[in-house]
Amino acid sequence: MPNLELKLTINGRKIKKTTFSHYRLLDFLREDLDLTGTKEGCGAGECGTCSVFINGKLVKSCLVPAAKADGAKIETVEGLGNPEQMSHIQKAFCATGASQCGFCIPGMVMAATSTLRNNPKANLEQIKEEMGGNICRCTGYQKIFDAVEMARDVINKEKSEKVFDEYEKPKNSFIGANVKRIDAPSKVTGRLKYAADMKLPNMLHMQVLRSDRPHAKILNIDLTKAKKIDGVRGIVTCDDVPGIDNFGVFIEDQPVLAKDKVRYVGEAIVAVAADTVEQARDAINAIKIKYKDLPAIYDPEEALKEKILIHEHYKTNLVKHIPIRKGNTEEAFKKADLIIEDEFSTQPVEHAYLEPMAGVSYVDQDGVLTIVSPSQNITHHRHMMAKIMNLPIHKVRFIMSPVGGGFGGKEDMIYQGMLALLATKTRQPIKYVMTREEDIVSTAKRHPSRTKYKMGLTKEGKILAVEISMLADGGAYGCSTEGVMRKAAILGAGPYNIENLKMDTRGVYTNNTPSGAFRSFGALQTEFATESMLDIAAEKLQMDPFEIRRINAFVKGNLTHTKQELNSASINTVLNELEKLSNWEKGPPQSRGQIRKDTFSKDNRDACELGARLKSNGNGKRVNR
Amino acid sequence: MSLTKKRGRGVAAAWYGIARTAAMDQAGAWAEIDDGGSAKISTGVTEIGEGILTVLAQVAADELGVKPENVMIGENDTSRSPEAAHAGATRQTYMIGNAVALACRGARQKLFDVMAKEWKVEANTIKAHNGEIWSEGTNYKMEMSEAIHICKKKYGVIPVAGENYTSHHTGLDPVDGSGRPWQAYVFGGQVAEVEVDTATGEVQLLGIWACHDVGKAINPKGVEGQIEGGVVQAVGQALMENYELDKGRTKSGSFAKYILPTSLDVPKVTSKIVEDPDPLSPLGAKGIGEPAMVPTSPAIMNAIYDAIGVRIKSLPATPEKILNALKEKKQNGSRNIN
Repeated sequence: MPNLELKLTINGRKIKKTTFSHYRLLDFLREDLDLTGTKEGCGAGECGTCSVFINGKLVKSCLVPAAKADGAKIETVEGLGNPEQMSHIQKAFCATGASQCGFCIPGMVMAATSTLRNNPKANLEQIKEEMGGNICRCTGYQKIFDAVEMARDVINKEKSEKVFDEYEKPKNSFIGANVKRIDAPSKVTGRLKYAADMKLPNMLHMQVLRSDRPHAKILNIDLTKAKKIDGVRGIVTCDDVPGIDNFGVFIEDQPVLAKDKVRYVGEAIVAVAADTVEQARDAINAIKIKYKDLPAIYDPEEALKEKILIHEHYKTNLVKHIPIRKGNTEEAFKKADLIIEDEFSTQPVEHAYLEPMAGVSYVDQDGVLTIVSPSQNITHHRHMMAKIMNLPIHKVRFIMSPVGGGFGGKEDMIYQGMLALLATKTRQPIKYVMTREEDIVSTAKRHPSRTKYKMGLTKEGKILAVEISMLADGGAYGCSTEGVMRKAAILGAGPYNIENLKMDTRGVYTNNTPSGAFRSFGALQTEFATESMLDIAAEKLQMDPFEIRRINAFVKGNLTHTKQELNSASINTVLNELEKLSNWEKGPPQSRGQIRKDTFSKDNRDACELGARLKSNGNGKRVNR
Repeated sequence: MSLTKKRGRGVAAAWYGIARTAAMDQAGAWAEIDDGGSAKISTGVTEIGEGILTVLAQVAADELGVKPENVMIGENDTSRSPEAAHAGATRQTYMIGNAVALACRGARQKLFDVMAKEWKVEANTIKAHNGEIWSEGTNYKMEMSEAIHICKKKYGVIPVAGENYTSHHTGLDPVDGSGRPWQAYVFGGQVAEVEVDTATGEVQLLGIWACHDVGKAINPKGVEGQIEGGVVQAVGQALMENYELDKGRTKSGSFAKYILPTSLDVPKVTSKIVEDPDPLSPLGAKGIGEPAMVPTSPAIMNAIYDAIGVRIKSLPATPEKILNALKEKKQNGSRNIN
């Protein structure tokens, strides 16, 4: 029961309220006051999405117990302005296009406000330093810096407020115009509701028990104690799935909740719905699972040996092999003046969208199972859900809530199935919000890869033949591995006219965290190898790196690696424009960095130096290098 | 400048296919010219951050002759809006942008046919832009709000239409991989400038010059935003991020352990947009979301080599890897080090 009485001022209004003693200030703002502009991105003070002012000082509200705010003056993003009356900083964020997904933006607006309140004349380096505690995964920060500088200049009356509304309005068309983002006002003022901001009457909260084993047989699930916990309204396991229990972007190989065995650490086994998050957590902690550990595979090379199978019924660990064959590489290598062979690798990467996975599910008055979540593919999710829940397709409805960053990470339907099972079982709305830790451990990553490469060229730099073989770790479930292998294969040899190509990409199952869709989807891994090889070749042939690329670049009418005739190919134009734009000094790539003349232009940022900012005099004067 | 700090530059190119790979891609949309000279668009789209709602508002405004701020875009709901499939694969502007353009052309034609009757002119003389509608070569001109009122009240017509856009792709041959995986391709290139501290192994990316073909930039600032964001995600990939596992258990299970680029790590990005319109689509626009980050990592590795003569072939180029590579280079004179 709420037992902590708080008296405080929030956005200028005096508030007296009894809340839970375990609440953080963030919970108090979001749950008790519905001030959902303050977001939870990590719950550990690392990302800054929950930034608020306490007595004028910028703090991360996830680190502050609610009790500590008693008697304080709190200011949240809602207090800075609303979509009709925005602060200078909020207007500047709209003007420069500083918001993309918007999830970090309320925190960014708070940090920017703090920066300019403390130092109204802050220079760019000081702005960067002050905003260093807030992470943005979408924008690359540049337009955020632009916004803070614009707001600073307006606040200091160096620029008129008109700059907020200036954009070149073309006379005859809106195509090609920098029309201001229509979603920006709702984002910079914290008014946009993401899935985690939703509340419905009688809503229950879901928590999930996840595997702490990489590969183990589930011998027994004991729910006796969990069922007796106060507030628990429903518990589901794989046995509760009424239809065909599997899903996946390309191969449907993943059960909603682990069936018979677990294949990775973080895999969902049991889901509980209770009146409060805390009760659901207590129930999770009361569940006992008996496992029998199985030998596991962590290395994709081991997976190819097939000594241990991750999915027994497939009889292989190979998820997908994509071959591309063009011409005759063996013959072509014989004619090459230069042959180079090398190996490259890339690491698994976390999407780190600032909005952790979240969703709400309910069965509506017409018996339609409805799921609201930031899913990147509701069309496909609806198909899979109908099959899993054994419902006609029109009895399943997906609504895509505003996405706080996806980058491919929200294409997998990894929690919506659990929500659907519990909403159907309890006939109450169910909400689930992952913690950052839960999100990192359970969701797919970028495929780590190893690539073997052989390239043969003439002494003039013309590529005669290429052989590429990439092996990728797909982790425990198929997710987007098949598509990633396809794109890696099709694009991997780069935008070059290569007559003889042998390309193979393979993705395999292991007991690692699954790999899935991630912006640039396999092409990043293989093209990284190709572009490194071209510079290695250019040095050996003493050619300029632009030159070796131009000699090989596709032109209109060329056949791609998959033998498709190109109806257009702009790569030469792009390279020429880039050479001009960067003011590139021609020469072979032979580590001439120290003698080249094109470095140190004004289009670079200042390098950070240890302690440099401590030396700054705070009046905008730059520190000497 | 410290003796241990070395600058270098590198370049890399890239290409990418637009929309769903090696399978038909399709998107549907409904459009209606609504009261007050506004527009109502319904399609399977929700903003994911790339600026798609603004792009669609610009497309709809342009096609219908209304103001972009008067375009309303409905929610993405499998039971209430036409299918437009997934938000990914650099397909939103290409697939949904073209679907919305086609639907708007259908709705516009209904209004123009009515106004041709009203004004007794040929429908093909009628134009509309930014909330006004007129007949070329005549004095007929009025606000869209008035025209829509006439259209509904006098002629009983609601200008509404639904359309879809298809991108014709084929699967790959299972033996030699031949096929037509996409109908539109984009090309790009980036130059990176780095400073490497040979004492600490730290690499700072200071500048990126990025040049990308997007077909047609519907909102150039939005394109820049995608390039800048893509570059910074690639900074993480190239220099710091690593989801490390030990026997299947993560060693980087929180933001405290998983290092992401912050405001102090990001380069200045100078972008240049190249426009080589797609000949097969109504808008000519292609895409930028994913291709933006492909050339960055190799451009950075090529720049590191330029700066200090060691080639990092295993991402990310952490300070430890740089120092080990420098040590190995010193020991055996090799420049080719993992």
